[in-house]
Amino acid sequence: MSTRIIKALLKKDLKLFISDRFYSILTMVGLVFYIGMYFIMPATTDEKLNLAMYAPVMPAAFAQLTASDGAAVELFDTEEALKQSVEAGGYQAGVALPADILDIWEAGGQPTIRVYHNAAAPPEVSDAIITLVKELSYAQTGQVLTYETEEEILGTDLLGSPIPLRDRMRPLLAVFILLTETLSLASLIAIEIEQGTARAILTTPMRVMDLFLAKGILGVGLAMGQAVLFMALVGGFSQQPDAMLLTLFVGSLMVVGIGFLLASLTRDVMAVTGWGVLIMILLVIPGIGNIIPGLLSDWAKVIPSYYLTDTVSRITNYGAGIGDVWLNLVILAGFTVVVFGAGMLALRRRYL
Amino acid sequence: MSEKSIIVENLTCRFGNLVAVDHINFDVGQGEIIGFLGPNGAGKTTTVKMLTGQLRPQEGRALLLGYDVARETGKVKSQIGICFEQTNLYEQMSALDNLNLFAELFGVNGFDGVSLLKRVGLAGREKDKVGNYSKGMKQRLMIARALVNKPQILFLDEPTSGLDPVSSEAIDNIILEERQRGATVFLTTHDMWEADKLSDRVAFMNQGKIAALDTPRNLKQKYGRRNLIAEIAGADGRLVKKEIGMDSPAAAGEVGALFQQGKVLTLHSEEATLEDIFIQVTGRRLTE
Repeated sequence: MSTRIIKALLKKDLKLFISDRFYSILTMVGLVFYIGMYFIMPATTDEKLNLAMYAPVMPAAFAQLTASDGAAVELFDTEEALKQSVEAGGYQAGVALPADILDIWEAGGQPTIRVYHNAAAPPEVSDAIITLVKELSYAQTGQVLTYETEEEILGTDLLGSPIPLRDRMRPLLAVFILLTETLSLASLIAIEIEQGTARAILTTPMRVMDLFLAKGILGVGLAMGQAVLFMALVGGFSQQPDAMLLTLFVGSLMVVGIGFLLASLTRDVMAVTGWGVLIMILLVIPGIGNIIPGLLSDWAKVIPSYYLTDTVSRITNYGAGIGDVWLNLVILAGFTVVVFGAGMLALRRRYL
Repeated sequence: MSEKSIIVENLTCRFGNLVAVDHINFDVGQGEIIGFLGPNGAGKTTTVKMLTGQLRPQEGRALLLGYDVARETGKVKSQIGICFEQTNLYEQMSALDNLNLFAELFGVNGFDGVSLLKRVGLAGREKDKVGNYSKGMKQRLMIARALVNKPQILFLDEPTSGLDPVSSEAIDNIILEERQRGATVFLTTHDMWEADKLSDRVAFMNQGKIAALDTPRNLKQKYGRRNLIAEIAGADGRLVKKEIGMDSPAAAGEVGALFQQGKVLTLHSEEATLEDIFIQVTGRRLTE
């Protein structure tokens, strides 16, 4: 490894990156767009109750609720369907009434009303549901303590703090910013191979490893620089900044590795763009799942960016530290090593 | 030319079942220009790639300036300059930036890119983007780039291919200047005129093997026919062409008879070209 050579290559690559209007403008516009997108998204959560209800018989008081402005109530045919919808994140809670509720009340008994809470629903919403059920029961019977409730939390309970949409989008936007550099880097390499300049510089005393190091440093620098700027502007460092920095670093390494692999699998810039967009779509899926809880099941864990979005989300939205997210980081780092190594080997064997 | 800059022993390269370069042997003296002639696919570029450390031979070895190319690639690379057949410059950068980059990669201290560009006829265009250069200008810049580290061995792969006569002559002059400086020049071409004009020795490469290697003069003497062509005015006033073999014992008598019998209008010698000799040696044309 030669510092002089790497410095010369970095200077050249930076010059080429800046002179490449497409990618330099794409980078700038992308960054502004993602930051703007974050700030135009709602900063608060919707306070209207979003309820699912299973009611084989509908007491009059509960029927009034369906017409209420304060709650959006959807009726389900089975309790199982209700549970699935609540768990998928479509509703903050679900209320299941027993089929014999009217008979029990008439006999002076206490029917069991089951309340299902979505794991991501804030605790005050859960409290409000319970209070609502009490009020409706009272309105129906004119008596207090005329029911029993059983509560169950569906999904992973993450303390249920309310997360505004823009904060749920933050990991997705960060991944977008990092992935833009995958395309930029892969294109830079593809252009070097296509125009034969890689071959020309490799006839000087520099080694192939110097070339990879220089490209790697540039890619990590560009990706991480933008991601750090983005996170700084959208409050991504307000909790656990060390964990966030480490995550962004590993994430940047990952996108550089993917960039190497992408460049090795394609023959020109057009192919880089085509394949790059496909890879980008695949890698942003976990970020979308972060916006819509319950959208993804365990299969999403095979997508390496899952561990990036999940880690960013847990750090920024739930205050997780390195101790909480270390397993995610290890998996992410493992994938990075594999993709980095594969990309370097493929590039070396195929072109250099 | 006493010391050997390049020594090649049994150098072989295969791509699958295809033997691109087949156990070739030759050496090149210091300050010598050697022309490698051969049609496309003869193995010229593969040979250059092995000599410059871009490709590892499967058999044999090549010593450049005493260094084994396969084992001491770094030492070899710092002493050589390569001008590729295909233009491979950073087109978004200026000519000066292109040269400065290579000077930094070679570790050349106090590099004067402006002077080098002036030498190849690109003065005043140093800061222009290479993408705006003509083909001839790009080729001159390619030559300049190969000279950045004042190489002891200069590899030139079709340096004047497709260029106008003025650009070709400029490049030819630079090649001769480099020889004057003491550099060894390895010239790969299928332009017989260029090879004949510039090379101290030429090698004919065909199907991965060296079919002949000698000075152009010796090759012509060995394989070529030496004729005298006389144009004389015939009895009916028509122009008659007469060919006399110079190596024939009767040549002197035949020439004397011509002058006695008729009016000799022109008389000149005809030498075989390298192309003729290449066809004779290999059975193929250079431009196949």
